[in-house]
Amino acid sequence: MKRIVFLFVTFALLLAACAPSAATVIQPAVATDQPATTASTLAAGEFDINNWESVLTSARGQTVNWYIWGGSDTINAFVDNFYGKALKEKYDITLNRVPVADTVDAVNQVLSEKQAGKDPGAVDLIWINGENFFTLKQADLLYKDWAQKIPNAKLVNWDNPAIKLDFGHPVDNQESPWSSAQFQFIYDSARTNADELPHSYADLKTWACEHPGRFTYVDPTGSGGFLGARFIKGALYELSGGAEQWLNFDQSLWDKNSPALGSYLNDLKLCLWRNGETYPKDESELVNLFANNEVDFSMTNDITGAGRWINDGRMPATARAFVFNQYMIGDFNYVAIPLNAPNKAAALVLANLLLEPELQAAQILPENGFGLGYAIDVTRVTDSAALSALQSAATKLGDSATPASDLAKSLVGDSAAEYQTLVEQGWSKFVLQK
Amino acid sequence: MKHFVTSKFRYILYLVLVAPLLLFIAYAFSTRWFFPQPFPIEWTMETFQHVFHDSQTIPSLAQGLWIASLVGLLSLILALPAARVLGLRKFRGRQLVWLLFFLPTIIPPLSVGMGLNILFLRVGLAGTIAGVVLAHIIPTLPYTIFTLSSAYARFDENYEFQALALGASPWHIFLNVTLRMMTPSLVVAALFAFLISWSQYLLTLLIGGGQVITLPILLFSAASGGNPSVIATLSLLFIAPPVLVIAVTARQLNQHGNQIREQY
Repeated sequence: MKRIVFLFVTFALLLAACAPSAATVIQPAVATDQPATTASTLAAGEFDINNWESVLTSARGQTVNWYIWGGSDTINAFVDNFYGKALKEKYDITLNRVPVADTVDAVNQVLSEKQAGKDPGAVDLIWINGENFFTLKQADLLYKDWAQKIPNAKLVNWDNPAIKLDFGHPVDNQESPWSSAQFQFIYDSARTNADELPHSYADLKTWACEHPGRFTYVDPTGSGGFLGARFIKGALYELSGGAEQWLNFDQSLWDKNSPALGSYLNDLKLCLWRNGETYPKDESELVNLFANNEVDFSMTNDITGAGRWINDGRMPATARAFVFNQYMIGDFNYVAIPLNAPNKAAALVLANLLLEPELQAAQILPENGFGLGYAIDVTRVTDSAALSALQSAATKLGDSATPASDLAKSLVGDSAAEYQTLVEQGWSKFVLQK
Repeated sequence: MKHFVTSKFRYILYLVLVAPLLLFIAYAFSTRWFFPQPFPIEWTMETFQHVFHDSQTIPSLAQGLWIASLVGLLSLILALPAARVLGLRKFRGRQLVWLLFFLPTIIPPLSVGMGLNILFLRVGLAGTIAGVVLAHIIPTLPYTIFTLSSAYARFDENYEFQALALGASPWHIFLNVTLRMMTPSLVVAALFAFLISWSQYLLTLLIGGGQVITLPILLFSAASGGNPSVIATLSLLFIAPPVLVIAVTARQLNQHGNQIREQY
């Protein structure tokens, strides 16, 4: 009996203790959920993409959840300081920057929401390109037919195949560009003389074997492998004597040229850091090897060259960017809106804001910490103040960036998406495991 | 002589424990510290200020503390009755119940988290603090139950009967006898739950879906960028609350231990 009484008391106490705490648990959840759902039901009915005023009206007061790779604190600060403030002041929109360790996390979030049938979801905008974009587009999970309808789309050269195709996949109006990038190398001017730098892949092999163990490249197969794949594709372009032929997929072209690529990379391997038995898995690891004097070259996609890395304290101030004479691959990166985004109007306003000429001028300045290039075509900007801001920003990239003329001279587009897999598979089979 | 050796060993142990912390501090407050420099040359507060001014840092710290505290409290409430029965009673299927309670420590959290995420999305708990708290209770419960049930195994029920015989009400007994005798174990169990919840990355990411951001989420995101100064700064912020909590409770527990020893 006593035992039963005791158990009863314990149980009662348990219930009593549960009640207030359960209430406190649920409260914040309701508080955060409610405005989002009501706002989105209003928004869905209210704006018309062809009437920008209606988009602005319905976006007012919304919070835009921007899922963005959060690995660089200078990029995080740039996003908060430039877009976060402008959104609040000009459009009364709150920016919720959601840092993800890998864009694939945001893609998985949208995929799980789809599986659970959750609409509205959590994601309004994703910084995206390549395979991640293709995954969502193929699953039919992206908001459609908007990218060329936002006002600043007229500043983008949508006829440019490098913009209209993302890793060879048609963009189809489902993502809007934010910035551009181009493959470059980085060296330390305190360690290496500028006149000793290699200017072609053939030169590079000679240089590497004269300085054994002082060069390596990023593993092209890992999650941070795009930089390594880009390095290898450049070699493929040079060995096959041209970039244009690789724009469309042709298996026989690959079969014809891949043996030469394999033997180039295997010759190079003998002279690499740690004899090519292991490779840095992403740009950050290569930067660490470079900054700690283990290898002499790093690689980047930043238009500011070494600028962002120097600002971030990751490279010595004497680091400089350089390019080969040819075959330096460049491309664009984008933002996309999931189909179940709760605040589409606010996401549209943000995507449009990203293309604002003043902010485009700000994003390339090394001291602002973003470091990637223009998405807009400067010649399409008519406003004279904006135009001069863009032009003067381009001259302020500093010593650590590659001169614009060198970049333009060496620029080529990426190859068709199918080659990406062939490069990755071929590399691990014939180079890494050999 | 023996004393000398043990004290020497003690200092080596201290050094091993403190050295990584010192390295973190050196990284957090310096920049451009490259090989072959043995010590940082450029000391700076800049990274620390950056991290503090980042719009996510302070809210994620507060949110993580709030979640971990709730998890600590809720898992105590859930674990106490289970632990009492497991610690004090012998019954058929007891081993099976033990196994069930311990399953979360064996099954990888990813498999639980993925399924849970879909379920929580359906019932509207995904992306909410409530959902994350519930998810965190799964890995914490085995530890709280284990801690409390081993305390109950040493617990002498006769104290409760004695109080009952002296006319105390059941409520009175629970508060002034049971809970009082269990306090050190309760504190330890709550601490376990707090620490496990505080350091959860995967479940928070899966269930929180980016809407609930705690410090481990920021830390993993920063680690993917590889900036040692930022990683070190966030790591220092990350270890501060657990160290503080342990420091405070260790003192408390010591006092309690003495009290209990006096009683016997």
